[in-house]
Amino acid sequence: MSKKVILSCVVLVVAAVAIPFYLEGFWLQAGLFAMSAAIGAIGLNLLTGATGQLSMGHAFFLAVGAYAYVYFAAEPEGGTHALGGLGLPTPVAALFAVLTAGVAGGVFSPIAGRLKGAYLGIATLALIFVGQHVLFNAEPVTGGYNGRAVPPMELFGFVFADSPELVVAQVPFGSLERLWFLGLAVLTCAALFARGVLRGRPGRAMNTIRDHEIAAGVMGVPVARYRAGVFVLSSMYGGLAGVLIALVFQRTVPDYFGLLLSLDYLAMIIIGGLGSVAGAVIGAFFISLLPQLLSRYSDALPLVAEPGSGGVSPAEASRILYGAAVVVIVLFLPGGLLGLARRLRLAVTRRLAPVHATRKTPLSPSSTPSPDTRN
Amino acid sequence: MSGTDTSVPRLDVREVTVRFAGLTALDAVGFTVEPGSVHAVIGPNGAGKSTCFNVLSGVYRATSGSVRFGDAELTALAPHRIAALGVARTFQNIALSPMLSVRDNLMLGRHRLTRAGFLSAGLRLPSARREAAAHGERVTEIAAFVGLSEHLATPVGLLSYGVQKRVELARALCMEPRLLLLDEPVAGMNGGERRDMAELIVAVRESLGISILLVEHDMGMVMRLADAVTVLDFGRRIADGPPGEVQNDPEVVRAYLGAAAESTTVSGTEEVTS
Repeated sequence: MSKKVILSCVVLVVAAVAIPFYLEGFWLQAGLFAMSAAIGAIGLNLLTGATGQLSMGHAFFLAVGAYAYVYFAAEPEGGTHALGGLGLPTPVAALFAVLTAGVAGGVFSPIAGRLKGAYLGIATLALIFVGQHVLFNAEPVTGGYNGRAVPPMELFGFVFADSPELVVAQVPFGSLERLWFLGLAVLTCAALFARGVLRGRPGRAMNTIRDHEIAAGVMGVPVARYRAGVFVLSSMYGGLAGVLIALVFQRTVPDYFGLLLSLDYLAMIIIGGLGSVAGAVIGAFFISLLPQLLSRYSDALPLVAEPGSGGVSPAEASRILYGAAVVVIVLFLPGGLLGLARRLRLAVTRRLAPVHATRKTPLSPSSTPSPDTRN
Repeated sequence: MSGTDTSVPRLDVREVTVRFAGLTALDAVGFTVEPGSVHAVIGPNGAGKSTCFNVLSGVYRATSGSVRFGDAELTALAPHRIAALGVARTFQNIALSPMLSVRDNLMLGRHRLTRAGFLSAGLRLPSARREAAAHGERVTEIAAFVGLSEHLATPVGLLSYGVQKRVELARALCMEPRLLLLDEPVAGMNGGERRDMAELIVAVRESLGISILLVEHDMGMVMRLADAVTVLDFGRRIADGPPGEVQNDPEVVRAYLGAAAESTTVSGTEEVTS
C-alpha cells in the first residue's frame, strides 16, 4: 500500500514538473488559477468542512492578501492618482500579506468564536460588502475601480516575470512557467501543513466541535478559542491564495473579490469533499478548470454557441453544468468527488481480493442490540 | 500522567437551583460524593438528573448554589476548565465523532493532557510527534482495558450501539479523570451488555480509585454498584443515603410507583430527558 502511495506521488510530481514544458500559456494560467484556488479551498475546508463553521467571506481574505501584497511590494507613485506603497522586498511583502490576512481574520475572530455554523455565514456576508466598499473607495491603497498592477515576485534575484529571458530545454520560460513551480511548491507546503493540522490534536478538536460542540467542551477543548483560531488560520490560507492569484493575474481588480468568488469556494469544498485537504484540491481544480475547458472546446460541444451569437454561450454553459454538478453531487455523493474516488477504489480492491476485504471489518454480533431490549 | 494532580477530592453539591424561564428544573439540590465512592443519582423522567449533570460539567449555569470539587468552584467555570480539573463525563445520547476512528475519538480524551497546537501539528514538529506517540500508547492500553482493541481503527459510526457506549466510557477514561460522571451508561443495552458494562464500572473503580457519579434507570444495577444514592423528583431531592435505606423510603416508593404497584425495577423506561 505505501509503495503504491509513493509511486503515485512520484508520478504526480513528474507530471506536474513536466507540464510547463509541454502545455501552452493558456493551460498554465488555468492551472495556476486552480493552484491558487486549491490553497484558498484548503483554508475554507479547515473552517467549514472540518470545524463546521460556514463562511461566506472567504473572498474578502483573498482580497486582503492580494491588495496587501501589492501595497507592501509596490513603490509609491505620485501624480494625480497617487498610489501608496512601501516598496518592500517581494518575499517579505508576500509574508506580510499573509499575516495581514491573518490579522484581518483575528479582528473578526471575536465574532467568529462566538457564532456557529450558518450564523457565522450570515455575519461573514458583511465582510464582502465592507471589502467591496473599501476596494472601490480607498483609492490611494487599492487603486479604486481600475485596481493596481502587481509587482512580480523576486526570490533570491530570480524574477518571476517574462524578462529577463530564460530558456530551459529549448522552452522559453516566461512568467507563467516560472510561477508554475512557485505555485506548485506553495500548494504542496500549504497542503502538507493543513494535513498535519487535521491529523493532529487540533484536527480532532475541530472535528468534535463540528460533530458535537458540547462534547468537545466537556472533553477539555476551549470551543470559542478553537473557532477563532481556525478562522484566523483559514483567513491566512485565503490571503496566501490572494497573493498567488495577484501574481498570476498581474493586476488586482476589485470586482473579482465579490460574493460569487466566496460561493465558488464553497462549491469547491462541497464538490471535492468536505473536511479533507484532498477534497479541497480536487474541488478547486474541478471548479477552476471546468469553465476553461468548456470555453476552450466550446465549438466541439453540441448546443453551445459562439459568444455573442444569441445561443447559450460557453460561459453560460459552464455555469449551468457547474450548477448541475453541485446538485448531483449533493444529492448522490455525500462525500464529494473524493468520496466517489474512495468508493471506486474500495469496489476495485473488493473485486480483486474479496477474502481480504471481508476480513478487514470484523463483526461483533454479540453486541448488536435487538429491538426488544432497546425500547 | 503529565504531572496533573491525581488525588481525588470530595465533590460537594450545595443548594443548586436551575431555572429555565418559568420552570424550576433543580430546586436547592445538594449531595456529597465521597472520594473513591460510587454515587448514584436516580429519579423518574424529568426529575432533573441530566440537568444536574449538565451543571456539574459546566454545560448549564446554575441559577444559584455551589458545586465544589476540592478547592475549585465549578459553577463559575467553563466546560473546558472543569475538564482540566479532571472531571470527565459520558453522554446519555452518544456524542462521538462518527467519521473518526475509535482511536481518534479516544485521542480527543487526551486533549487536556497534550499541548500540540496548530503550528506544531501543522509542521509535524518532533515534540508533537513524540507527544502523539506517547499518548497513543496510553490510548491503546485504555482501549484494551475497556475491550475495544479490535475496533481501534474502525470509524465509530460503523460500530454497534453497545460498543459505541463503551467508546464513550473509554474516551472519558482517556482524560485520566479524578471524577467520572456517567449519564445512563447502560440505557438501551441488552442483558449481556449491561452486565459487561457493570463489571467494567466496578473494574474502573477498583483499578483507578476515582469517584464515580452515576445517573441510571436500571435499579438493579444502581443497588449493586452504588455506595450512596440520591433520589430526585420534580427537581427536588427526596431521599439520600445508602441503597438499602433509600429503596425502602416511602417517598421514593411513591415517586417511582405512584398508586400502581409494579416491581421496583424501573429499567428500560422510555427516555425523555437528555
